[in-house]
Amino acid sequence: MGKDLLLLTLISLPLIGAAINGILGKKMPKIIVGSLATILVFVSFLIGLTLFTGLDKTTIVHLFQVAKFDDFTLDANFQIDSLSIWMTLIITGIGSLIHLFSMGYMSHDEGYHKFFTYLNLFIFSMLLLVLGSNYFVLFFGWEGVGICSYLLIGFHYNDTEKGIANSLAARKAFIMNRIGDAGLLFALFMMLNKFHTLEFVEIGKMIAASPELYTGIAGAITLCLFLAATGKSAQIPLFTWLPDAMAGPTPVSALIHAATMVTAGIYLTVRSNFLFELAPTTKDLILVIGIATTVVAAFIAMRQNDIKKVLAYSTVSQLGLMFVALGMGAYTVALFHVTTHAFFKALLFLGSGSVIHAMSDEQDIRKMGGLSKLTPITHITFLIGTLAIAGFPFLSGFFSKDEILAHAWMSSPLVYGILMIAVTMTAIYMFRLYFLVFHGSFRGGDKLKSHVHESGLSMTIPLMVLAVLSVFGGILNLPGIVFHNAGHWMSHFLESTTYGLNQIETEHMDGNQSIMLMCIASIVALSVMAWAYLTYVKKQAIAKEDVDMTAWEKLSSNKLYIDELYQTIFVQPILWLSTTLSSQFEQRVLTNGIFRLTSAIEASGNYTRKWQSGFLSSYLFWMVMGIIGFISYYIIKSTFWN
Amino acid sequence: MELIFLPLIFGIIAFFLPSKWVRPYGLIASIVVLLFSIDHLIKFDPENYVLMLNPAEVFPLGLTFKMGYDGLALVMVLLTNAVISIILLANWNRAISSNARFTGLVLLMQCALIGLFTSLDGILFYTFWELTLIPIFLILYWFGKQENNRALFKFFLYTLLGSLMMLLSFIGLAYFSPNFSYFQLVQANFDGKSVEAALIMGGILFAFAVKIPLFPFHTWQAPTYTNAPMAGTMLLSALMLKMALFGMIKWMIPIGFEGLVYLKWPVITLGGIGIVYGAIIAMKQKDLKTLFAYASISHLGLIAAGIMLFTFSAIEASMVQIINHSIVAVALFLCAGIIEDRLQTRNIDYLGGIAKVAPRFGFWFAVMTFISVSVPFTAGFIGEFILIKELFTAHWVIGITAASTLVFGAVYMLRAYQASMFGPTNVTVFADLTWNEYAVFGILTLAAVGFGLYPQLIIDFIKPSIKFTQELMAGDLTFTK
Repeated sequence: MGKDLLLLTLISLPLIGAAINGILGKKMPKIIVGSLATILVFVSFLIGLTLFTGLDKTTIVHLFQVAKFDDFTLDANFQIDSLSIWMTLIITGIGSLIHLFSMGYMSHDEGYHKFFTYLNLFIFSMLLLVLGSNYFVLFFGWEGVGICSYLLIGFHYNDTEKGIANSLAARKAFIMNRIGDAGLLFALFMMLNKFHTLEFVEIGKMIAASPELYTGIAGAITLCLFLAATGKSAQIPLFTWLPDAMAGPTPVSALIHAATMVTAGIYLTVRSNFLFELAPTTKDLILVIGIATTVVAAFIAMRQNDIKKVLAYSTVSQLGLMFVALGMGAYTVALFHVTTHAFFKALLFLGSGSVIHAMSDEQDIRKMGGLSKLTPITHITFLIGTLAIAGFPFLSGFFSKDEILAHAWMSSPLVYGILMIAVTMTAIYMFRLYFLVFHGSFRGGDKLKSHVHESGLSMTIPLMVLAVLSVFGGILNLPGIVFHNAGHWMSHFLESTTYGLNQIETEHMDGNQSIMLMCIASIVALSVMAWAYLTYVKKQAIAKEDVDMTAWEKLSSNKLYIDELYQTIFVQPILWLSTTLSSQFEQRVLTNGIFRLTSAIEASGNYTRKWQSGFLSSYLFWMVMGIIGFISYYIIKSTFWN
Repeated sequence: MELIFLPLIFGIIAFFLPSKWVRPYGLIASIVVLLFSIDHLIKFDPENYVLMLNPAEVFPLGLTFKMGYDGLALVMVLLTNAVISIILLANWNRAISSNARFTGLVLLMQCALIGLFTSLDGILFYTFWELTLIPIFLILYWFGKQENNRALFKFFLYTLLGSLMMLLSFIGLAYFSPNFSYFQLVQANFDGKSVEAALIMGGILFAFAVKIPLFPFHTWQAPTYTNAPMAGTMLLSALMLKMALFGMIKWMIPIGFEGLVYLKWPVITLGGIGIVYGAIIAMKQKDLKTLFAYASISHLGLIAAGIMLFTFSAIEASMVQIINHSIVAVALFLCAGIIEDRLQTRNIDYLGGIAKVAPRFGFWFAVMTFISVSVPFTAGFIGEFILIKELFTAHWVIGITAASTLVFGAVYMLRAYQASMFGPTNVTVFADLTWNEYAVFGILTLAAVGFGLYPQLIIDFIKPSIKFTQELMAGDLTFTK
């Protein structure tokens, strides 16, 4: 098969799965529904691997022309290059593991076939997003993943207790994402007007030919692109939907809200690196927003007591870290962290899913404890995930984080300092979470304890695979201190699609400095681990109830009151406006105004009848007056406009 | 000509049929008309005008009685015929469909609409414009809620005002054009008197602004929709509003083109206000029909603003969006109708949890909701994308205003859907969909997805028409046939 056929098969397999399960799934046995969905995604992954091994130059696959307009066309085109295939491997690879996990996790759910339909549809949309060769197809996928996210967050809308909360969370996610989408739309419009095409390659060529022509417009475009990225990738100011999105089933949180969809913003930025390189101001803004997000989210995560909320804020914080890398122009470094983060965060979420499953849907870590003996596999894998994210030496997170920290160190010690605070907080909340869940004594009562059990194979196999990846993922992009030639495989691999300051060789860091930074990071991770062990295991400190908290703890546990702030400054005023407009303006001014006009016409008719022959002519008189008034008003108006 | 006479004859016959025959008769009659129009479509060459009626002489008062269609008009004729069939199908399981007067009026309405779209004479256009009022007025009067006098009065008053303005404009046009043939009117010579052109255009615009409705001429809409029977609302929203948008593209702008400079930005501004205003009001509405009515103001404000730009892309996208809005209108008012039919209320405060009792309806309502918020793979996606792009290109402020529909649309539609379908179950019995309702939802979804994936189907018909109109306006092409 040729490359183009392979690619189209790769994209359409999940869609076929969604169609089959959506139409026939209800009548098919669960095992077939689940296996079908999983296998199709896995086959996509295998095809992705084939394309990956045969990768040479950028290939464009033309499917069909969606619409042809005067000065531009919209095409359904796809692109095979290192970046798109790398993202495809993450999506389908992690995706099939999570599908497998879901087969066990959702086995008791009555919406089983619906779940897999949505999940497959999500994979399809995500593939459109990363494989499209132009911003239009990207936008298709971008909106598509938003819908799937909406459907999956509100999956349990019928739940008697949480049904309403679930569907509200879904709505919030969709609407906040749409704000970002509007940004993407504007970026697309500006590009269409400036370049008359949306093809990545074409735009890249035009910019490469004469970059000085585009510096102005690049600033505006990149700002809009970044707005889109903040929506999808949950950055300040549009990040509050992601923690709420945890209302969805846990595999969804792992797949969509940790490993894949939320990294779409980073993908978008990397894909548009030729534009961002022309817009230093936007990059500075990204740096600032990234730093702020990573710190704020890490701070909030420290006092959350819902196991998934901790991980959600952790995701926001890690995404912030990736944006820091992007802000410094280190595109491949950001992608490296996307990759390792996909491994360990998917692992942690699935681990938490396994815990929640074992705990009969209890998510409050205050009620857990001592699970290490009851759920050994989940425990070990979760520990690996925790170590990886906390930056324990030589695990995947250690290397990817270290690259970002190294870049920060080179660009400014201040940035490095702030990031170190965030990194420390990351270690704190993760070890707090880990020790509270898996060590100490069980706090959920005997009845619950008797139900606790290790999950089945379909759930533990993905955990183990992800654990292995989390441990060894760093090999992808070793810093190259010891084995100089083996280093930075991933940076080299992605070189062709990203230019910017990705090549660490060009500004090769002094080996000693590198080692020093690594030592500092290791010391921080290890000492926080020791501290958390002493606090939560030796001293048996458990998470405090709300009343006992100190001021900063309250701030953290109430998420800095940002939801309340948004409610007050955005939501309430608009709702007020809606009520006021419909009751006051619409009713009093417009409706009654019209009836008054009628009476005026009638009155004038009575009046004019005295000196004119009849009603009709006065009516006409008013008509003409009306036209004259109407037109002259606009003539005056338009002269001011022009 | 059979396009006009068939529904006329079918409509008249319908009044005399016994009620047990009326229902199948209406549907079959409308499908027959649809098939005839499809036949026209197959034979049609987009590069040509097809003249159905073309008398050589000019009658007294400058009447020419020319009738015919180009790609633009043919698309509207097809849309009309398809939507009429769908409306009759949607009403299949309701008592109203067995009513001879109702079916007759719908078919007469179809006749008037086709007449309007195929008119190539100003006075004919005006006549059909007025003729459409009679059936819809009677449908609202006979089959609407009894307490609707005030709403009906409002509707009538507004439309009458608009029509009179249009009549004055056409009378005024007599000074600038030898007769009322469309081809002459389009070349109407204003000798650079753009204020006069704007006055003429303004009068026509007034009629259209009321019908679209453009902010602030919209206050008749919500009460009229609310009191109308489901079929009446569908006819109004899916077809009658489109007469005005079609009129803007085909009549108003080409005729008064020299005056466009004066009216362009004011109308775009009103459209922009409508987009935001309709959406904001829709957010807190409790009656589903009122909510959808305000949503419609928001959607149509976007289309009207786009048309005023009068660029190729904007007109093409407007046509995609016009068709999309017809789909959405039928779909949403059917959903509201289904809920009202089962529960005798449309107030979302009393609804909730329907998805649990009637999962199939829950699913289809969700699909329709997504179509109406213009998700990818639906016609609205492309339509909105290009329209907002064109507006954004014209001025970034109006572009941003228009783009707010993306966010606000999601807010009010998801609220409407979730409040009625999710949440605590107030509803214990809810008969799930009947076959005809399935069929309607299925057809609408297919249409929305089809045009969403391949909007070029519509664009290919529109582009030659606009080119043709432009050539006519420039006087390059004298149409003497």
